[in-house]
Amino acid sequence: MHKATLAVSAALFVLAVAYWFAADAIPASRLAGQVGADGLPKLLGLALGVLSLLLAGQTLFEMRRAAAAGQGEDKGEGGDRLPGSWREHLRALGLIGIGVGYLLLLPHLGYIVSAGLLLAAVATYAGLKPSWATLLFAVGGGVVFYLIFVKILQIPLPAGFWPGLLR
Amino acid sequence: MDGLTYALDAVTTPSTVLAAAGGVLWGILGGALPGLSPSIAMALLLPFTFDMSPLAAIILLTGVYIGAEYGGSIPAILIRTPGTNAAAATVIDGYTLHQQGRGGEALGLSLVAGTIAGLVGLVCLVLLTAPLSALALYFKPPAYFALAFLGLSIIAALSEGSLIKGLIMGVIGLMVATVGTDPLSGVTRFTFGEPDLLGGIDYIFVMLGVFAVAELMSKVAEKDGVEGGAISKAVARVKLPGLRKLWDLRRAQAIGTTVGIIEGPIPGAGGTVAAFLSYNEAKRWSKTPEKFGKGSEEGVVAPEAANNAVTSSALIPTLSFGIPGSNSMAILLGGLLIHGIQPGPMLLTSRPDLVYGLFGGLFMSNLFMLIFGLLVLGPAIWLVNRPKPYLTAGIFMVVLSGIYVINQSLFDFWIVLIAGIIGYGMRLLKFPVLPLILGIVLGYMVESNYRRSLLLTNGEHRVFLENPLSLGLLICAGLIIGLAILSEIRRFRRPGIAAHG
Repeated sequence: MHKATLAVSAALFVLAVAYWFAADAIPASRLAGQVGADGLPKLLGLALGVLSLLLAGQTLFEMRRAAAAGQGEDKGEGGDRLPGSWREHLRALGLIGIGVGYLLLLPHLGYIVSAGLLLAAVATYAGLKPSWATLLFAVGGGVVFYLIFVKILQIPLPAGFWPGLLR
Repeated sequence: MDGLTYALDAVTTPSTVLAAAGGVLWGILGGALPGLSPSIAMALLLPFTFDMSPLAAIILLTGVYIGAEYGGSIPAILIRTPGTNAAAATVIDGYTLHQQGRGGEALGLSLVAGTIAGLVGLVCLVLLTAPLSALALYFKPPAYFALAFLGLSIIAALSEGSLIKGLIMGVIGLMVATVGTDPLSGVTRFTFGEPDLLGGIDYIFVMLGVFAVAELMSKVAEKDGVEGGAISKAVARVKLPGLRKLWDLRRAQAIGTTVGIIEGPIPGAGGTVAAFLSYNEAKRWSKTPEKFGKGSEEGVVAPEAANNAVTSSALIPTLSFGIPGSNSMAILLGGLLIHGIQPGPMLLTSRPDLVYGLFGGLFMSNLFMLIFGLLVLGPAIWLVNRPKPYLTAGIFMVVLSGIYVINQSLFDFWIVLIAGIIGYGMRLLKFPVLPLILGIVLGYMVESNYRRSLLLTNGEHRVFLENPLSLGLLICAGLIIGLAILSEIRRFRRPGIAAHG
């Protein structure tokens, strides 16, 4: 996990620098008072920069201690490996992929169909085998969510192209 | 007398009664589902509180919290899997009692002990909130800034993981809070020309992402089995203890309640610590300590009383100082801020209706817990027995539908998904979540009071040292950070421990 923490420290330092410069570019305003709109952001950018360097220093120190103690590179949480495998992390990101797919389909297919598809996709992705039960869950779930959110709570969720077909 | 009127008003208004009932019901079901913590159960409902009255919204969220603490004991007792972290101590004797054919009794003890402790905790909350709020008169902008700074310092120092990681997350939280239109000067900051960012990044979306979406991502990644809990339907009946039994268990009840009330306001402690601590204390003071671990009734009563007493006493710092000590309280704070209510020393003065109404709501919620605890065991078992992928899909759909309720904007979905990825990464790298949330929630309080304070002294920072309250709070913050640094240095000096990070 140490290497990953070092990489994150570096990324946080870059973020701190970028944030500080973005704060510096904030236009001044006469309404701002003694401390402008850029005052606290600059302070935060500086704080994050210092803290990311401290985190990197702490991690390097831990690595040296681990090496001196004879601990190998890949010894669980204290070593360089992240908890879980890359396959697991990719699986986790797959859920976000399904969410993105839902977002892209929602304006076109409408809420009820997109909800059904998302329910089927996530249930299958999480381990269920495609079956009539899964299909029933998706169709029933889509209808239930539609009734709750659109009909009962009156949330104007996208209807998709279906209403156009009925005109 | 006014306070009592407000409380009575809350318990007789249909919308607040419904909110308490709905919150407790959802809380019990959510708490019964292993992996769905009280904070996630609360976060899922957060978008739906937008159109509610502030009082009903806050009663709904506290109802979820109260219900979830009992709900967590259902799978703990019946399938040896705590529904919430705080129910982990209940597993030890609760499950043993179930194996002895006394699962219904264990559930009844958990329910009654939790209700009694919740009500006693409420009395303490009522008694302590007013004196603490009397401090309101002394709070000026420098003190408010120092209070928020102290809150962030405490949470960063006590969070799981290293102090530096806690501080980094607090700073990033404050950075997120600066996105959007500056409320003091009207200048836009960090919006990169995106109109959807003009209003800032709503903490609800960050909460949904880092709590709910990150949790679902972890579940999908682990692929922790498809089958549900497999609880036998034969135990679907709670058996309430009689008065004589309760009298016999009074010592464990008193220990659990006291420990819960003391632990609740302490940031970072929460129900889990309280439950284990009270279990140990109950065993130490028990006349039959040898029964602990072998199906002791006291071993169920003490931790369940403790984690339910926490639900009331944890509200003390949240309401009185605006500093949440746990994830659940951070979400509750978010719920208050959604409605433009700033918790803190002035809350009791500015919104007594809300504070006393909430007390009434908490009273109702505890009673509803007793009623629904008896009624919804069957549905809760049915839910726990469903294959996990159905639950994962259903919860993801609730999150994605709930987001749209708030602004009816597809842009918010992206924020939640990105927050989910960041939350998942934070879990992997052991960065604490609470300082991030607290930074976002307290961001406005920190910046506005910092700038207002400097307006008073033409930019001189000495204003924070001249105000006695501000100075005291900043010294406390310094001491907490200093002690945390010393503790980290000591940890590094211990050979072997530093190597494990």
